[in-house]
Amino acid sequence: MLWVPQIQPLGSPSAQSRQGAQPKLGPCLAHTSPQLAADPQGPLGWGPGPVAFCREPWGRGRALGRCPHPHSSGPCSSCLRLDVSPPSPTWLTRYEEATNELINEELGIAYPIIDGIPNMVPEAARRTNKKPPAEGSEQP
Amino acid sequence: MAAVRLCRCRCRALLSRSAGALRARRGLAAGPEMHFGFQTVTEEERREKIYQVFENVAKKYDVMNDSMTLGIHRVWKDIFVHKMNPCPGTLLLDVAGGTGDIAFRFINYVHSVRQRQLQRKLKHHQNLSWQEIFESYQKDKFNSLGDSQVVVCDINREMLKVGKQKAQHLGYSEGLSWVLGNAEELPFDDDKFDVYTIAFGIRNVTRIDLALQEAYRVLKPGGRFLCLEFSHVSNPLLSRLYDLYSFQVIPVLGEVIAGDWKSYQYLVESIRQFPPQEELKAMIEDAGFFKVDYENLNFGIVAIHSGFKLHNENTSC
Repeated sequence: MLWVPQIQPLGSPSAQSRQGAQPKLGPCLAHTSPQLAADPQGPLGWGPGPVAFCREPWGRGRALGRCPHPHSSGPCSSCLRLDVSPPSPTWLTRYEEATNELINEELGIAYPIIDGIPNMVPEAARRTNKKPPAEGSEQP
Repeated sequence: MAAVRLCRCRCRALLSRSAGALRARRGLAAGPEMHFGFQTVTEEERREKIYQVFENVAKKYDVMNDSMTLGIHRVWKDIFVHKMNPCPGTLLLDVAGGTGDIAFRFINYVHSVRQRQLQRKLKHHQNLSWQEIFESYQKDKFNSLGDSQVVVCDINREMLKVGKQKAQHLGYSEGLSWVLGNAEELPFDDDKFDVYTIAFGIRNVTRIDLALQEAYRVLKPGGRFLCLEFSHVSNPLLSRLYDLYSFQVIPVLGEVIAGDWKSYQYLVESIRQFPPQEELKAMIEDAGFFKVDYENLNFGIVAIHSGFKLHNENTSC
């Protein structure tokens, strides 16, 4: 019995709005950390990507990693994110909800996500229509 | 009959030690001929077959590990993570980490280190001012993993699925990522990871030299490469007992428990085909790692190889 996770996208920032976009933290209101909202770059400076940590200040009594939401069985959908930390050749993939892919805009490729696991084998990468920025534009 | 079979296996192993096969054994580009256990196949076939093997065994992988090694594999993996000795904030890449054994141990280890850190901090910080108490409620002080992250990368989707289910079942929600990727061509940027581990996986990689080069690439300068793998037993008596156990007992267990004789026959044969400790050490050094060393566990049945990436050659020192 395979359980397909509910993928909660953190909005779909376009290239222009990526700089200033605040990622949506999804429906996990109990877990919304004001610190994460204030610091969308994330702890390791990964940028506003599809990373969202389920961080609640857990007391010492809590077991490691257990979802504190009361539910009988199975994972809590609000605790579930597409927990894909920067798995991109340039550490900047964003999750595209429409096509369910991880898109790397700098290289112009998209990796499909199947069953919540991104398929980042080179053969699976699809060239997106957007061309990567030209070399000349980067020079001062 | 058992002796005849052993003899045959030994002969095949001896024959495969010819020069051409030596290159193939090392996982270097030897043209199209490579080994799959004791058979000779093309590179493409080998990838296919290995994918099939792990697709078949994925669901019973953990059960089989316990029964084949009588639970000792847990000790090996514990020793492995203890050798890694990660501190909170470490970014780990666990390649061929399918069912997540190393990843879970890493998270447990880092969590306990972090708990001790927090306890020590608390002990010395009993007299808090009201301002400090107020601030402690603002910041996310109970960062239980200390920003450590582990990325589990595997080429086999079934293994990753099993790993993900296990993570949910055991309650690991934070700090884990699952990625389907090829160890010979990792989808990660250069100089990203603090530690790269590959436990019982490098034996199944078709081009070991490429995998080692990729490991070197994605590690930060100062990063550590760790490899846990079955290796060669030098003690002759133990070697015979080990061969006996491997070829007589393990495939039978495979058939009884997982219903798959051939996969476990492959597993056992691939251990014999894998380069011994010194040869693997040389390959790791060739990839650019320094201070390469290995530690035998259980007289060489398993070995932990470790190497460090000290600097990038491209940048001027």
